[in-house]
Amino acid sequence: MKQKQSWKPYLWLLPSILLISVFVIFPIVIVFRLSFSEISKSGVVGGFVGLKNYVEAVHLPAFGIVMKNTFWWVISVVGLSTLIGFIIALALNQKFRGRKIARSILIFPWATSLVIQASVWNYIIKYEYGSLNNTLLNLGVIREAINWRASYQIEFIWECACGIFVTIPFVAFCVLAGMQSIDESLYESATVDGAGFFSKLFRITLPLVMPSLTVSTVLNIIYVFNSFPIIFTMTKGAPANKTDTMITFLYMLSFYDRKKGPANALSVIGFLILCFCAGIYMLTMLRKEEDL
Amino acid sequence: MKRLAAGFLAAVMGASMIAGAVTTVSADDPIELDVIICQYGPNTNEWFLGSGMDGSNFVEKFEAENPDIKLNLDVVSWNDVYTEVDTRIANNDAPDILNIDVFANYANDGLLLPVSDYCPEDLYEDFFPSFIEQSVIDDTVWAVPDLASARALFCNVDIFEEVGIDYPTTWSELEDCCQAIIDYYDGEVYPWGIDMTTDEGQAAFAYYTWGNGGGFVDADGNWAVNSDENVEAIEYALHLIDEGYTNPNPATQTRYDLQDMFAAGKLAMVIAPNQLPTYVADKGGDINLVTVNIPAADNKESSSVGVMDRVMAFKDDSAPDQDARNEAIGKFLSFFYDPENYVGWVSMEGFLPAVNSAVEALVEADPSFEAWLDVLGGCQFYPTAKAEWDQVKQGVIAAEQNALTGASIKDELDALQAELEQ
Amino acid sequence: MMQGNEKRTNCISLLLVFLGLGLALALMLLPLYSFKAGIYTKKSSNTFVGDEKYREVRAEVEEIAEEYRAKGHNVEISESVTERTNSKGETTSLVAFSIDESFHKSILSFANAGLPSSAALLVMLAAMGAALLAALAGTLPSITKNGRALTGGQAALRDLSCFASLAAMISVPVFVLMNNSLFWRKISLYAQDLLTEGKEELYAKLDGFLYGGSMGEEIGDALKHVSCEHSPLVWALLLCFAVSGIAAILLRYGSVKKKLLRVALYAFVIVVCVITLYPYYVMFITAFRSNAETLDMYFLHMLPTKWLWGNLGDIIKRGVPGFLFNSVLIAGGATLLALLCGIPAAYAMARMHFKAKKFFLGFVIMSQMFSPVVLIIGISQLMNVMHLNDNILGLIFVNAAFNQAFAIWLLRGTFVSIPVEMEQAAKIDGCGTVGSMVRVLLPMAAPGIVTTLIFVFINAWNEYTISTVLISTASKRPITVGITQFSSFNMIEWQYLFAASLLATVPVVVLFMCIEKHLTSGLTSGGVKG
Repeated sequence: MKQKQSWKPYLWLLPSILLISVFVIFPIVIVFRLSFSEISKSGVVGGFVGLKNYVEAVHLPAFGIVMKNTFWWVISVVGLSTLIGFIIALALNQKFRGRKIARSILIFPWATSLVIQASVWNYIIKYEYGSLNNTLLNLGVIREAINWRASYQIEFIWECACGIFVTIPFVAFCVLAGMQSIDESLYESATVDGAGFFSKLFRITLPLVMPSLTVSTVLNIIYVFNSFPIIFTMTKGAPANKTDTMITFLYMLSFYDRKKGPANALSVIGFLILCFCAGIYMLTMLRKEEDL
Repeated sequence: MKRLAAGFLAAVMGASMIAGAVTTVSADDPIELDVIICQYGPNTNEWFLGSGMDGSNFVEKFEAENPDIKLNLDVVSWNDVYTEVDTRIANNDAPDILNIDVFANYANDGLLLPVSDYCPEDLYEDFFPSFIEQSVIDDTVWAVPDLASARALFCNVDIFEEVGIDYPTTWSELEDCCQAIIDYYDGEVYPWGIDMTTDEGQAAFAYYTWGNGGGFVDADGNWAVNSDENVEAIEYALHLIDEGYTNPNPATQTRYDLQDMFAAGKLAMVIAPNQLPTYVADKGGDINLVTVNIPAADNKESSSVGVMDRVMAFKDDSAPDQDARNEAIGKFLSFFYDPENYVGWVSMEGFLPAVNSAVEALVEADPSFEAWLDVLGGCQFYPTAKAEWDQVKQGVIAAEQNALTGASIKDELDALQAELEQ
Repeated sequence: MMQGNEKRTNCISLLLVFLGLGLALALMLLPLYSFKAGIYTKKSSNTFVGDEKYREVRAEVEEIAEEYRAKGHNVEISESVTERTNSKGETTSLVAFSIDESFHKSILSFANAGLPSSAALLVMLAAMGAALLAALAGTLPSITKNGRALTGGQAALRDLSCFASLAAMISVPVFVLMNNSLFWRKISLYAQDLLTEGKEELYAKLDGFLYGGSMGEEIGDALKHVSCEHSPLVWALLLCFAVSGIAAILLRYGSVKKKLLRVALYAFVIVVCVITLYPYYVMFITAFRSNAETLDMYFLHMLPTKWLWGNLGDIIKRGVPGFLFNSVLIAGGATLLALLCGIPAAYAMARMHFKAKKFFLGFVIMSQMFSPVVLIIGISQLMNVMHLNDNILGLIFVNAAFNQAFAIWLLRGTFVSIPVEMEQAAKIDGCGTVGSMVRVLLPMAAPGIVTTLIFVFINAWNEYTISTVLISTASKRPITVGITQFSSFNMIEWQYLFAASLLATVPVVVLFMCIEKHLTSGLTSGGVKG
């Protein structure tokens, strides 16, 4: 009976496949084609040049530092937002007065456009007239205005912090949802057995929250890797690409430096890196879930 | 691969029909011109599209006067304009008329129409000849100037009087001034503003190298970014930063940040365009300021810096009637540069004009214009007509920023020069 | 035995309350605040030690110092010389003279100074008194009783003692910060005439507090260069109040661990909320400042001096409502389309068996791996071919497509979590696959669908880069692109940028808050089954 229906599922998938194919896969194909083509500075597409763009991209002086930044950007934003989000979810999972208000507040950063978030943070940490200095000075916490962006390393840390700030709610709510589905009786029997806070955390909470955390983490990695507005608004990668991640770098490369061929080659390289990471994830996850 | 793509496309063509975006072209339709204008200030949008032109706007007035031409005019922020234009070019959908700063890439790719094809004779004669010269490649004029600004050094008079020093004319005097200001104000006032940001770091390069007899090109017009004069000049600028004479974050504090600091009385000297007094007044600043020449190296000549933007027209081989199109573009330009419209626009944006016919009215409105027009006469401009200008611009910015984080400026500029000579 | 134990606990606790508060009082009597007032300063440039100008200025300064000494001030003259050799080989010299007076004050002496911090100090003292009295009154009548067996009145008194200690603790940083902001900043702003409001009044109070009213007219000079330091011992007050607070908790409950954890939880949540809300606070107050005030480099005002509600009107005139409407169209359309395509796909993934399932999942996830930023050229080329350039419909398609992965993932999880038996029952009743899905599955999956809806809506609402390139007509721009007219790199109008941001943020935040409850339950069903 099942075999007769074998074409039916595909009918159900068709609208989705069509939508993705046309509006995502087709542009991807174009990017692949462009990465092997000669492209003039103003964007006129020429003929096939083989791997020239790739070679050029890898040999860009900023390539190394950009890869390093991208690595730290993804690791720190995803890692810390997961950690902090988890801790916040633990706190919000307790019963206390004002819990509803606290949860509503936590949603704010999620519901705000990244461009807006980035502009606000950019204003907050301005040295000369920024809000952070204003608030701290007027509250008497500091004596003189502090240069919050004294070096590019510090600016990059701010950018990561902003990325973490906007990512936390997503993680916290995924974890919170996972925690709420855990049966109370599990904790109660553990308490009877004399388990402490941490043993309950590691024996019950973590394993049961894991599945929702893993999926959200993969989506997170993709979103964070591809995140553009924070860095572009706050530093534009200055000085000299030292705060660029791959996405902002290839945008600058394409539209400021006008090296459009290498920019497209870099896009493909980034795509391959993500594919590799997601591939590993899918292999491990799908093996676990044979009957998907 | 194309066939594959076409297959995808066919599948969704239906969707586009819903949009009703498929239009048919008939001979009687008015000529449509896609125009992209850069956003110079808070009022640009209002002037072209809103009610900023005495209750009406540029597009309405133009279309009323030329009923056979329809303008699709778009005011784009400087942040996005390169992205938008380049993307449209990549899709063979270039605008008809573009207002931007650079033109060489478009000209070299054969995308532009020569100015002589569309610009009416009397309008062409009206442009300042020295400006037109800046848009020539291979003896052809590819773009016309739309406006200009000249830069000079602005000093805060009160600070200089309080400290009891004279305005600097040479680099060593400048250093003395900086030290005196630092000593007097215990570092609460920054003496000197430097902007080496991604937005406009090439300007800093020009200020110092031109003041040291160097520059982007040598006497023959060939790239010479790593000349000894240039290295010396940038090293001098870096030295000012190292001594603590400047604003603290030169790699991210834009000229507008510096102007804000100047308006707040926190910066004693800043190199800025002629609009600075208006800018300061708009910010509520009450600064007693004076303009002097940009200091040059000892025994070298000071040079002012001019910046110019342009208007250009793109080819469109698909247009049914090329002559009619060219004529329409000409009408657009004539209408734009008509003193009745142009003077209002230039004075609203606070720039200097590019045509003779506007000078009289502008000087009448603001006598300080005259002095600035003199300054403009002696200005040096960026070598924007050279094909590699984008690369040089980004290259010197990267070199400066790398040097700010510890690299040797000589190595950086040598590498850039080597790349250019390849 | 039990009773003896409790009595001992109570006695020790009471003693600790005494001890903490007593120590605090002792600290308050110590001269922890030291002031150094530069009563007079004079900078003289181009002046060399020993030359005529120097002697002139020096004599002038000494004369002034004598005047002060005559009035009984213990002043000292100091001078500093900065000598430099300039580029021409000339030596320049800057001489700075100052007349200083130093003195010390105890914390308690602030009590009747009438300064802002005096109020905080009075609160602190009142709280100390209340903590002490409440602890005594709540304990002495029955010193042997601990915890829950207390009478209502005693429990309330002991509670009061806990909260009073907490109030005293909180008032310590308030007191210190108020002093900091006054002596580190406010005074110098008044001295530079950057602030004028309330200057006379404050100066009179400071004259009374610092100089016993002896300065009179000259108080302005005396306060020009006043510096104020406090010993780190001030913070020991916190420790004292912590001791009394913990002791009070012990009195009330018999144990402290649980309550302290509670306090820590509240503290943590409050810190998280404050940090989260801070950008919104900034957005709000900046939106109603004047442009000059947004760039205030002296940080004169924490809040707008005048709330310019008209800023909202200005941005409305500049097209923001239209941008918002476009955003609603784009986000709404994209959400609808994403669900229309996503629900059948998710249903197939959840309920049907077919070979290419994993392949499809990979395909969907892979489709997410390119950032729209990277695909700009491709997407815009596509739109050209489809004649969807400069068309909101194009953005709807793109946004829907880029959210397929998320929608399918969430919806599939929801569908899997709903028992298949319900649909089978409906099928037996004569519904087809589609009928059973619409009538049974979708209503049950409502929370998950709402969650998906919100996700896609937010993502589409926030999209920026593609809209920048695809939409070239100003009136068709979504809000994210629309606000760039306030923040081009050649001029940022912060107040308008943030006012528009406020308008763009509030509807989404309200929407989110309304469905917060559904959100977690939707994620529960969508997430856990991953």
